[in-house]
Amino acid sequence: MGNVTIAESTTEQALAVKPEGRTRVIAVIMAIVGLLTLLVFGMGSAATAHSTLNFSPINLSNSAPLHLGSLTLTTRWTVVVLALVMIGLGVEVFLRQPKSFVMGRFGVVAVLFLLALLFWAARTPGPSPVSFINLTDILTGSTEVVMVLIFGSLSGVMCERSGVVNIAIEGQYVAGAFFGSMVVSTTHNFFYAAIVGALVGGLLGLLLAFLALRYLVDQIIVGVVIVTMMSSLSSYLNLQVLTPFPQYNTGNLAPNLAIPLLSKIPILGPVLFNQSGFFYLMIVLVALVSFALFKTRYGLHVRAVGEHPHAAATVGISVSRVRYINVVLGGAIAGIGGVAFMASQGQFQPGYTSGLGYIALAAMIFGRWRPSGAVVASMIFGISVFLSYTLVSYDVPVSLYVLQMFPYIITIIVVAGLIGRVRPPGADGVPYRRD
Amino acid sequence: MRLELRGITKRFGSLTANDQISITVEPGQIHSLLGENGAGKSTLMNVLFGLLTPDEGEILINGEPVQITNSGDAVRRGLGMVHQHFMLVPVFTVTENVVLGFEPTKSLNRVDYRKATEDILHLSRQFNLEVDPDAVVERLPIGLQQRVEILKALSHDAELLILDEPTAVLTPQEIDALMEIMRSLAAAGKSILFITHKLKEVKAVADVITIIRQGRVVGTAEPTASESELASMMVGRDVELTVHKEPFSPGGDVFEIRDLVVRDERGLPAVNGVSLSVRAGEILALAGVQGNGQTELVEAIAGMRPVESGSITLNGRDITNHSPRQVLDAGLGHIPEDRQRDGLVMSMSVADNLVLNTPRRAPFARRGTRNLVAVQAHAAQLIKDFDIRTESPQELVSSLSGGNQQKVIVARELSRSLEFLVASQPTRGLDVGSIEYVHRQMVDHRNNGNAALVVSSELDEVLALGDRIAVMYDGKISGVVDPSTSRETIGLLMTGTRVEQSRD
Repeated sequence: MGNVTIAESTTEQALAVKPEGRTRVIAVIMAIVGLLTLLVFGMGSAATAHSTLNFSPINLSNSAPLHLGSLTLTTRWTVVVLALVMIGLGVEVFLRQPKSFVMGRFGVVAVLFLLALLFWAARTPGPSPVSFINLTDILTGSTEVVMVLIFGSLSGVMCERSGVVNIAIEGQYVAGAFFGSMVVSTTHNFFYAAIVGALVGGLLGLLLAFLALRYLVDQIIVGVVIVTMMSSLSSYLNLQVLTPFPQYNTGNLAPNLAIPLLSKIPILGPVLFNQSGFFYLMIVLVALVSFALFKTRYGLHVRAVGEHPHAAATVGISVSRVRYINVVLGGAIAGIGGVAFMASQGQFQPGYTSGLGYIALAAMIFGRWRPSGAVVASMIFGISVFLSYTLVSYDVPVSLYVLQMFPYIITIIVVAGLIGRVRPPGADGVPYRRD
Repeated sequence: MRLELRGITKRFGSLTANDQISITVEPGQIHSLLGENGAGKSTLMNVLFGLLTPDEGEILINGEPVQITNSGDAVRRGLGMVHQHFMLVPVFTVTENVVLGFEPTKSLNRVDYRKATEDILHLSRQFNLEVDPDAVVERLPIGLQQRVEILKALSHDAELLILDEPTAVLTPQEIDALMEIMRSLAAAGKSILFITHKLKEVKAVADVITIIRQGRVVGTAEPTASESELASMMVGRDVELTVHKEPFSPGGDVFEIRDLVVRDERGLPAVNGVSLSVRAGEILALAGVQGNGQTELVEAIAGMRPVESGSITLNGRDITNHSPRQVLDAGLGHIPEDRQRDGLVMSMSVADNLVLNTPRRAPFARRGTRNLVAVQAHAAQLIKDFDIRTESPQELVSSLSGGNQQKVIVARELSRSLEFLVASQPTRGLDVGSIEYVHRQMVDHRNNGNAALVVSSELDEVLALGDRIAVMYDGKISGVVDPSTSRETIGLLMTGTRVEQSRD
């Protein structure tokens, strides 16, 4: 054979890496939503229309923050500014194609849209002394939903990081809320309720783990079965026990524990530092799970099991032990979330979690299977959920049912993977068989 | 470490997978375990690693009998395994992978990554196994990933390393580097048990060779033994390692690919502007390390994967983005890479599998009903012609051995008149006898004046079959060379270094 010389490898690209088409679609959707907001809610409102914001919480219970006056804004220009931010984000995503936080930007646009809608819906023909938008109340109310979602998505992170899909979060919420209400009604103690909620949620986690790990039943199916079972069982028990004996479902709202001084800060104080014990517990849990998963030996084992169980097994890690532990702990966290939900509503009602568990699961995906990401995602979803419920009390020319679909539409977009590329743990939902 | 296996016997029902196997590995020795697929090598390793309990026999480490009941035991006793499919977590860093299961910790159960990194750096200096401890494993080339596997075993204080078919996924250069590592580890006093079926590598690196066949030790050999001696011990009869080919007399272009672009599952271009042509009476062998777009290329040709741009023509007819049925009807024969997934329906009989590509055609079907008599007769004929070892045509194809399953596919594809044959990894996992057979069939096909594209990651196969050799790297053809080209040059092409050659 002839002389062989080694030349530099040619770089002629037959195909430049194609821009992410789906990202562009999402960017266009973001810009269109912004444009609609601009035209319909912005330019569509009269030049004299005003929206008034109030910052004092209605519930002044034990810790009223420093007083802050109300703020009256021209509806048109406020909405225009919000809409321009939305369009700007859409354009930015379209042009720059950022690698990360596309989902986050999308979430911000969704929340801004709801805010613009709120401003528009609460407008008055001229400057008005009566304010219809109480920002502090909206944020406080959202925080309760956000908190419940964080418990759920944290539960999802615990389970899926070890490779088990926990779609039963909704069922664990229901169980936690049901038994939480009974315990609170009889003992008037939310601490006991939290413990019972954790136990019940943990037991459901154990059931999931047992069927999925011992008998390799499809995890999604087991999860759905648990949700269906819990919603039917709670309805039945509600009818048979709670209705004839209402003293077992008096429930109660969890008392707020105000942190001295900090709770006096306007807006932030009531939202972050005058909350129920569940809120603070949630913060501790986020920090704890984050630390455990990413700093400790236990966390390294969990992530190894979730990514490549065979590799973990060859170095002597017991795959099923790690998975049992995590699914039970995850179930316990979701169970506490159910109690927290009950404690923010007052008592148990059948079906009132209305799919929050699935939204929590979406928040976990949105947050890329990280506790910190789950927090950010839960905030976006939680605020959307709360706003879409709040808007009902305003004069909005859209059916209440359509409005309430909003968070679920975002959920579908997220879960379908329309935005960005998220990578689940390698062995997520894959049963492990020792060979 | 001195490892001695004495009379290890393991039975599965009526099958004796290991029959009185005795092997001794001396300290600092590279001991090669040579045997075909199914000879009982994996069973033996599973016994050694405590995953299976032997029915008879004992394991001695440094002269003392030991009981090994799980892989943790084996690791504690100083056995280290480098698996054929790496046991590495792809998204973890090198450090995280190496320390997994044996983490140094500080307070609060935290992993002490600083100490871990230092240990790894120390270890890699000691054994000359350089690798960046902070690199994420999935971004490392395969050769380096294997190095991480070796480091992992060494970090557990392994005194005996078991390398299970370690070269299957490596380029020739990486294989050379691995041999060097093995020699230096042996020089440092580590014992190495090297499991393989590749004769060249055994001869290059082993101190002692033990050959097993059908679960039995059939002999030992010196590395100076010739390849054909080793092969005949391994197979149990004389085998021809070279294929006799008629002189090369190519005709006109039969098959042509132009600027083909195909995406993989992740939407990335796996085939990125490939142009190739194959002439009548020619085998074009496509070499390359696995995962460089060969799979996607073949799937695109067979109509199983959409083509993004470019064209595929067969005898001047455009078959780009045709359905598999249209492609088959155009006269393409396809021996797929994964025979159990794409080549056969495992739950169907041999006879039905033999007509999978022509089920609607006469004589096998008439007016929408199957002619089972014709199917049966067809099967009986092919079973005879292609020497398929099966009890009857009605036998489920899943009960056949790998070699015979491949024969079913080869028989099905080559028994009808073809314009062009595409064979992807046609001998993967087959025993030497079956390899010999499949090769002969493909060369016969070529000798009859037909064209074929053979994709293989085995360099030996590429060199044996190809009239021309194209090398694929990173979705592109990095060179087309003559089979007389040196292994080193082809190896360089496999790593993407473009080679220009001047034809004399």
